[in-house]
Amino acid sequence: MDPFREAELVETRRHFFGRTATGIGTAALASLVNPDLFGANPNGTDQATRRVPGVPHFVPKAKRVIYLFMSGAPSQLDMWDYKPQLNEWFDKDLPDSVRNGQRITTMTSGQNRFPIAPSLFKFNQHGSNGAWVSELLPHTARMVDDLAVIRSVNTEAINHDPAITYIQTGSQVPGRPSTGAWMSYGLGSMNQNLPAFVVLHSTVNGGFGGQALYSRLWGAGFLSTRHQGVSLRSTGDPVLYLSNPTGMSAAMRRRMLDELSVLNAQRFNEVGDPEIQSRIAQYEMAYRMQSSVPELTDISGESKATLEMYGPEVTKPGTFAANCLLARRMAERGVRFTQVFIRQWDQHGNLPNDIRRQCGIIDQPCYALVQDLKQRGLLEDTLVIWGGEFGRTVYCQGGLTKENYGRDHHPRCYTKWMAGAGIRGGTVYGETDDFSYNVVKDPVHIHDLNATILHQLGIDHERLTYRHQGRDFRLTDVHGNVVSGILS
Amino acid sequence: MTIRSAISLLAVAVLLPGGASAAEGDVNFSRDILPLLSNNCFKCHGPDEANRESGLRLDQQKGSVAVLESGHRAIVPGKSGESELFRRISSTDPDAKMPPEDSGKKLTAAQIELIRKWIDSGAEWSGHWAFQPPMKPPVPEPVAGWRTTGPIDNFIHTSLKAKQLSPEEQASKETLLRRVTLDLTGLPPTIAEVDAFLADNSEQAFERVVDRLLDSTKYGEQLARIWLDAARYGDTHGLHLDNERSVWPYRDWVIKSFNRNQRFDEFTIEQLAGDLLPEPTLNQRVATGFNRCNVTTSEGGSIDDEYYVRYAVDRVETTATVWLGLTAGCAACHDHKFDPLTQKEFYQLFSYYFSLTERAMDGNALLPPPAVKVPTDEQSEQKKQYDEQLAAASKRVETLLAEFNYTDPKPDEPLGTLSEAELVWIEDSLPAGANAQGDTPWQFVEAPKPVHSGKKASVRTGSGDGITQHFFDKATDRLKIGENSRLFAYVYLDPKNLPDTIQLQFNDGTWEHRASWGADKAFGAGRNNVSNRVVGSLPEAGKWVRLEVTAESVGLKPGSELNGWAFTQVKGTVYWDTAGIVSQSLSEEQQRSLFAWEQFQKSGKAPTVPEDIKKLLDIEREKRNDEQKTLLTRYFLQHVHPDARAKLAEPFAEQAKLKQQLVDLENAVPSTLVMEDRKDARQAHILERGQYTEKRAAVASAVPEWIAPAIPDAPANRLGLAQWLVQPRHPLTARVTVNRFWQQLFGTGLVKTSEDFGVQGEQPSHPELLDWLAMDFVDSGWDVKRLLKQIVMSATYQQSSRVASGKLAVDPENRLLARGPRFRLDAEVIRDQALAVSGLLIDRIGGKSVKPYQPAGLWKPVGFGGSNTSVFVQDSGDKLFRRSMYTFWKRTVPPPSMSTFDAPDRETCEVRRARTNTPLQALVLMNDVQFVEAARKFAERVILEGGSDVDQRMSFAFRSVLTRLPSDAERQSLTRLFHDILSEFKTSPESATQLLSAGESPRNDKLDASELAAWTMVTHLLLNLSETVTKE
Repeated sequence: MDPFREAELVETRRHFFGRTATGIGTAALASLVNPDLFGANPNGTDQATRRVPGVPHFVPKAKRVIYLFMSGAPSQLDMWDYKPQLNEWFDKDLPDSVRNGQRITTMTSGQNRFPIAPSLFKFNQHGSNGAWVSELLPHTARMVDDLAVIRSVNTEAINHDPAITYIQTGSQVPGRPSTGAWMSYGLGSMNQNLPAFVVLHSTVNGGFGGQALYSRLWGAGFLSTRHQGVSLRSTGDPVLYLSNPTGMSAAMRRRMLDELSVLNAQRFNEVGDPEIQSRIAQYEMAYRMQSSVPELTDISGESKATLEMYGPEVTKPGTFAANCLLARRMAERGVRFTQVFIRQWDQHGNLPNDIRRQCGIIDQPCYALVQDLKQRGLLEDTLVIWGGEFGRTVYCQGGLTKENYGRDHHPRCYTKWMAGAGIRGGTVYGETDDFSYNVVKDPVHIHDLNATILHQLGIDHERLTYRHQGRDFRLTDVHGNVVSGILS
Repeated sequence: MTIRSAISLLAVAVLLPGGASAAEGDVNFSRDILPLLSNNCFKCHGPDEANRESGLRLDQQKGSVAVLESGHRAIVPGKSGESELFRRISSTDPDAKMPPEDSGKKLTAAQIELIRKWIDSGAEWSGHWAFQPPMKPPVPEPVAGWRTTGPIDNFIHTSLKAKQLSPEEQASKETLLRRVTLDLTGLPPTIAEVDAFLADNSEQAFERVVDRLLDSTKYGEQLARIWLDAARYGDTHGLHLDNERSVWPYRDWVIKSFNRNQRFDEFTIEQLAGDLLPEPTLNQRVATGFNRCNVTTSEGGSIDDEYYVRYAVDRVETTATVWLGLTAGCAACHDHKFDPLTQKEFYQLFSYYFSLTERAMDGNALLPPPAVKVPTDEQSEQKKQYDEQLAAASKRVETLLAEFNYTDPKPDEPLGTLSEAELVWIEDSLPAGANAQGDTPWQFVEAPKPVHSGKKASVRTGSGDGITQHFFDKATDRLKIGENSRLFAYVYLDPKNLPDTIQLQFNDGTWEHRASWGADKAFGAGRNNVSNRVVGSLPEAGKWVRLEVTAESVGLKPGSELNGWAFTQVKGTVYWDTAGIVSQSLSEEQQRSLFAWEQFQKSGKAPTVPEDIKKLLDIEREKRNDEQKTLLTRYFLQHVHPDARAKLAEPFAEQAKLKQQLVDLENAVPSTLVMEDRKDARQAHILERGQYTEKRAAVASAVPEWIAPAIPDAPANRLGLAQWLVQPRHPLTARVTVNRFWQQLFGTGLVKTSEDFGVQGEQPSHPELLDWLAMDFVDSGWDVKRLLKQIVMSATYQQSSRVASGKLAVDPENRLLARGPRFRLDAEVIRDQALAVSGLLIDRIGGKSVKPYQPAGLWKPVGFGGSNTSVFVQDSGDKLFRRSMYTFWKRTVPPPSMSTFDAPDRETCEVRRARTNTPLQALVLMNDVQFVEAARKFAERVILEGGSDVDQRMSFAFRSVLTRLPSDAERQSLTRLFHDILSEFKTSPESATQLLSAGESPRNDKLDASELAAWTMVTHLLLNLSETVTKE
């Protein structure tokens, strides 16, 4: 049993002895130590620790994951995938031999031509391996030695909804569990006060906009709904329904819960349903969350140096910077999977301006998060992932000038990076052709990426399965190979 | 129970579904062996031909005994020693062992032994149980001494007896009433209902309750709510923009269908193929909304062909899950790994759904076609009334025309000179049908404020620098433009607050006809063309001035008609009055002559007339027949002749008003998505790996005949499919259906995997009972109410749900039913129950979905900016308190208090909800304003209706939620809490006031705040009790 959890349970037991002398029989107490002692054992999960027996399958490198998701699909050509020779191709047509008849979206399939738009941005080499990074990412460039930059990520989906559903759940069609839900299912929670899987949404210039997100992206699909991600909100209650109603003091809530426990325990003694004991325990956890969540989101104890590292936006709740800091705080508190979403990367037109804005928002906080984790010794068992649902085309969508252009969706290659938890820093993995159109070396399909994430957590992606409708489903469907080339 | 007997029970418990044991006696192939083969072998040696290893096929007897490529035979009946299969599964050699190590599969020693026994006893083979047509099995004898009500109990008791278990005694009347009322209506019983049941000591007391509940309209709501999970009903499209869609009339159809106890076979046919029935009724078409509930997209860049395929696949999967209990989706990519469904058969089913008239892109529209209008009963009634009134008005017109008895006073006189006539269109009121609008509403003044004529003038004062205006459009009494027409209006500028600009705008379908005076700052500034003709400087202030502009100069041609007019200004205070048109027209005398009017029309200077009248005029006067003459005369009298027009004015106005009301009514009639087939069918193909681009052989619509034979002469469309599903001898439909109803009442089906009756699904806990119920259901005429009554009348259903520890140990999931059903209520029932006991519940049935409370800021952070569901706007009033099945279901962000309690997202078909127990659920019940408000209103009822002292009120509160009285301990506990909290609120009355402010329903101010708040804490606790959220 997780020592942290055991301490919690002892605490709960003490709490019960201390407060309520009546009502709870020894059976009830036993179940508080092991809430599912009597419980059914559906689908083979070990209910006491809520994880699948035998998982992890091998010694994990990562205990937790922080996934910085760039929704809308950032342009690999302007940030990571350096193609200097394209300058000679300005406004020339993409050779048919490169496109090779592959399907493109109906937003550009009607265009008369596919004129090449070289990146406007300067690239320089950074780090000990001389990785090329664009001037859009000055902070991130400073830490390329911590990152494995994968330039050959690819997918089949060419539109946002199916593509983001695909990378998050392993299927383009709704209905499957999300990556975080699989982790929660497989590995269980590391703490008793916070959810195992937390989702954060970031504002852009104070507002929300861009491609839509869907609760299925952090949903549990056919897994138990207890595995779905919990959104931590920057306005209102951070966790839904967390605050007591106005007029009800914390003391009154405690008094009400004590009486509730007594009555529920009496009922248990009469009817013997173990679900009642479980419910008693869940109310206690809800009560604990009422203090642990505000403690989590209270950053007043953070040092000035830490806050400065994340940049000036860190004190504005809901910004990407603030969310990155929260992600670190959650890593410290045992949240298994934190996913930070930021939208507005869908730059079909006016790409140069919009990508400057977006990179301006994310660059420093990304850097700060990785460094902050590193300084606290957390990076070695925290896997950090950055990237979107697909890439963008080398050819221009809409009007092309030297200063302005747009790019359509491009699933055949794009760039993501990973850091920490057994990832070999200073790696640049995979190669694309001269047009950043096709992968020419070391392709990494999104199933491979997800297999690798699970692998770092000690999970064999082929063996973490769930029987649904007679079939053993897994995150990677029937695909996926661990990308050993980025592992240390 | 002693530990010893518990252990012996444990040993029997492995006999439960899914676990096979030879201890039972003979090995049963379908029950014991087939699941082992399926689970461990079929992936490589099953129906999937493309991925079959070593030529061995184990899902059919023929393949299992055939000579293999290696020369061996997998199974030699009667001889396990010669059977290659047995050699492999019992081998210790890693190279030979089956299933192989890397498959992750493993057979236990007991399972291997079972297979040996089966082979040695002759390897008897039968098909998978669920694919064999059910036979009505004989009903076992009752078990002596146990209360039985008939076949259900006899089946259950026989199996209990065999496992040395006994049933529980009957639950208390209170428990029973709460159980059955929640089950059949989704709401708790009222205290009056409890009292009535307790007072009824007759044998029929419970049956009377059941009949009452089945007759209640709430029954249909409860059944429909559950069905809508299967139908994946939602109020948005589900993909990308996730805009609103209108298919709620289908939802209401489901409610009505259950309430009128429609036969389940008809219910099936109408939903799958109501549009294909001969001369389908509107309701039968509405029913087909079932398969328009799937998620759709209109994401920019999407490829149509990909989505035509996805939609059809979803519909096959849903149909297969709901009626066949089969996981057909597996066969979209390859032959099914476990069940004999081939990929070809999948695409034959797919073909039924591949030829709809719907477009791949839903256009983010409320009603992506095909859709039908569905008037409510009130609307149909209203329309009937309007139609009658309109007929009456028309008749009056007819009578007046007949009475007029017209003859032309000057039938041969040449036209002569025309005069100019002024027609005032806007005076104290607006023309008929006008839709008045403005930056702020129209404002009228009367004398002593400036008025030009009549009683009133309109006025507007600009604020800031912007353009401001009032206007109307959609007038049905249109203003006709003729030759050399001039438009005019009177204006009065306030000398103390002059505008910069005044502008008139005219709408003949567009507003691109404008004239302005003063600075060129209004609409179309800088153009000086027909879309903004700059006429001159501002008129003199402080007096009424007539503005006039030729129709031609603002681009209005003779024959065009105005339906709208705008009075526009920049800054200042401006009065407007008396507006209309000056046209060349007939003198009043000329207007009395049909011939004069005819000549005027032919001169080309007159306003146009309708096309049919024009055609009559084109006929030479002498050549018109009587009918044509009459028609023309009528038109002339109605529209030109001054005396006739005066007489007809009133009935004409009445007609116009009614016509407009009919239009408005028509616009208010809801519509719903339906199914419709294309005339030219789209050809379906087998799709390699399910990829829409990878077309293989063409296939036609057909049913998988290995399940049940096709119906002879059935149409090769969805109707044929539906008829095939509901044929009485179909092995799956009735079994799958009764199992789902059983699951609804007992929490778990007789087949636990209610979505999968295939080889990989769980074995039924009581196969004979399932078959008996299925056959009985079909024999009864697919009578759902009868089936439910049959189950709830059983002693099995009526047992106490107390969980004896010994029984819990041997049967934790209560599959053997040695005790009554007990499980957490569904999300909707938990909320509806709180609304009911608080008295807040509005029990109106059906209608557009509503948006009750949800925490602010849930849609915005994830919604697409252009989506019409990116901002949540909460409803108010009654809409906050409708049953939860009417809550607006945004599928990408489902209502959180529902999804926290395991309500599905409704993106895909769901026939079995999870039931979790989480801290987030505790938070909902603790803090969701809906539940706090309900506690507050519940507390008001406790004080007002519960009696005069704390004891009586405590009893009332308990009985309202739990039907039972509190125990002494409970009473003491809560009374202590009440007094503690009451004294706390008395010292802090503002806290009491705050607590009582939760929610929008008004607080009863006559009640003492501290006392009400203290009772609110008690009722709040009651709503949080485990027992409250549990069906006991």
